Amino acid sequence: MEYLIHLAILFSIFAILAISLQLIVGFTGLLSVAHAAFYGIGAYALALLLEHTGLNFFVAILVGAVISGVAAALIGLVLSKFRDDYYALGAIGFNVIIFSILLNWQEVTRGPLGIPGIDRPELLGFTFSENIAFLLLALVFLAIVYGISEFITTSSFGRALRAIREDEEALSVFGYRTSFFKLAIFVIGAAMAAIAGGLFASYITFIDPTSFGIAESVFMLSIIIFGGLGSLRGALVGALILILLPEALRFVGFTPDIAAQMRQVVYGLLLVFLMLYRPQGVAGEYRL
Amino acid sequence: MDIVPQLIVNSVIAGSLYALVAMSFNLVFGATRFFNLAHGSLAAVGGYTAFFIGDSLGASLPAAMLGGVIVAAIVGYGFEFLVFRPLRRRKASNLVLLVASLGALTALEAVIAILFTSQFRTLSFLAGTTGIVHIGTGVMTHVQVGILAAAVLVLIGSWLLLSRTSFGRAVRAVSDDEEVAKIVGINTDKIIAVVFIIGSAVAGLAGVLAGLDTGIEPRMGFSLLLKGVIAAIVGGIGSVYGGFLGAFLLGFAENFGIWYISGEWKDAIAFAILILFLLFRPQGILGKKR
Repeated sequence: MEYLIHLAILFSIFAILAISLQLIVGFTGLLSVAHAAFYGIGAYALALLLEHTGLNFFVAILVGAVISGVAAALIGLVLSKFRDDYYALGAIGFNVIIFSILLNWQEVTRGPLGIPGIDRPELLGFTFSENIAFLLLALVFLAIVYGISEFITTSSFGRALRAIREDEEALSVFGYRTSFFKLAIFVIGAAMAAIAGGLFASYITFIDPTSFGIAESVFMLSIIIFGGLGSLRGALVGALILILLPEALRFVGFTPDIAAQMRQVVYGLLLVFLMLYRPQGVAGEYRL
Repeated sequence: MDIVPQLIVNSVIAGSLYALVAMSFNLVFGATRFFNLAHGSLAAVGGYTAFFIGDSLGASLPAAMLGGVIVAAIVGYGFEFLVFRPLRRRKASNLVLLVASLGALTALEAVIAILFTSQFRTLSFLAGTTGIVHIGTGVMTHVQVGILAAAVLVLIGSWLLLSRTSFGRAVRAVSDDEEVAKIVGINTDKIIAVVFIIGSAVAGLAGVLAGLDTGIEPRMGFSLLLKGVIAAIVGGIGSVYGGFLGAFLLGFAENFGIWYISGEWKDAIAFAILILFLLFRPQGILGKKR
């Protein structure tokens, strides 16, 4: 039971990441391979704020989202100059730079040692130390993020994003400032990823830079491509299956180290096969 | 300054290694026009094959090296035949090809980690005890001299191949416009396949040499590739010679950069250079404006 709760919490965290990345990649057509960077910024911001300022978890996680949003605004401004594969390459570059800062700015992040002993959330004297309570909290955050994303994608703002994805030139002819839309959704997505990062840090109570590298960004990308680009429900389905699938490998009897590698083999091959045979994923409306 | 000669030597060694990756990446990019991120993992394939042949079968250095190069070429061709060619037939966009290569890279790295564990290994047992060469106050091992020689040889080889043979003319035709090349009767699939084989062999060679100099690990391919791509863009994407030039610039920038900032920041410096170039001179130093 405890194990199922653990998986459900992981699902909630990765569902938030997948939904927020879906807004950027699936709805706006910007192939960002930097999402793990904002996930990491959120996790570190929360851990450091809790440790040094004594802020409440709920305040700290929002501050983390703002910090991540500001970083995304700066990075997004640079990325907005690029298109398609150069955009992806630039995003990879920023993920490596942020990862490198987490790893090497040792005075603040403690580098490869990571930050241990992060507190669980606390609200009005109640501590979410039981995993079942934490799961409920994570699901609430997931519901809020899903609700906001649903609102965004069905609004006129969301229609403009889809139009950018389909034909950016045409939209700018109609007088839309497409660079503003692209930057706005990038910032919103990054702030949501930081929420997921804060939840992750507080749930595991320990973070180190390895959770926030390129491989994690690729994993998030496979989730939404598998679920289907341009579909919020697809992001949920993708997160559910890609979190559960590798767990099955554990029961086949692989050691944890091999199982972790098998997980990578599975989602790497999955990406290749999806590109070859079903580029729109399970429930997608948009192909790369 | 006593350390300047050593810094120059280090820059040249790093530059040579990047040059091998960048030139082979540019050769493949020139013919196919997409970012093949799986290209770097072929360096790991080459390195680990050489390790396996030398360690388990007890073969000598030349045999291990040859084995690494051949297996890398076969795996590279396998990617082209099984993944990239079918995608090109379907007129898949560059992004689809990029994502597919990202998947291939992720899977291949993990397969290597399963077969050989993630431990850092060195191939230095193959080279035995090597002598050193003194350059001013700087020191260079024979292996490192070999890396520099390999980079220069590949540069000369590419120049001969591309500008002096009919195969080279065909590659340049495919690179300019695949459709038109097809119309004038060039078997573009065959040309691209050969390009993949040559490019992958050079990437494999880079992996073996890196293993002889320092060591190999399953993820080495990705970081080598990123440096190679940066060098390729800095020099001029798709231009084999630009890749050579960019690689040495990158080698010098990284090694002299750590004079001011500590060594762990090498990757960040490299990517800062990439982003500056993408912003202000996306066609690179030698590239033509597109």
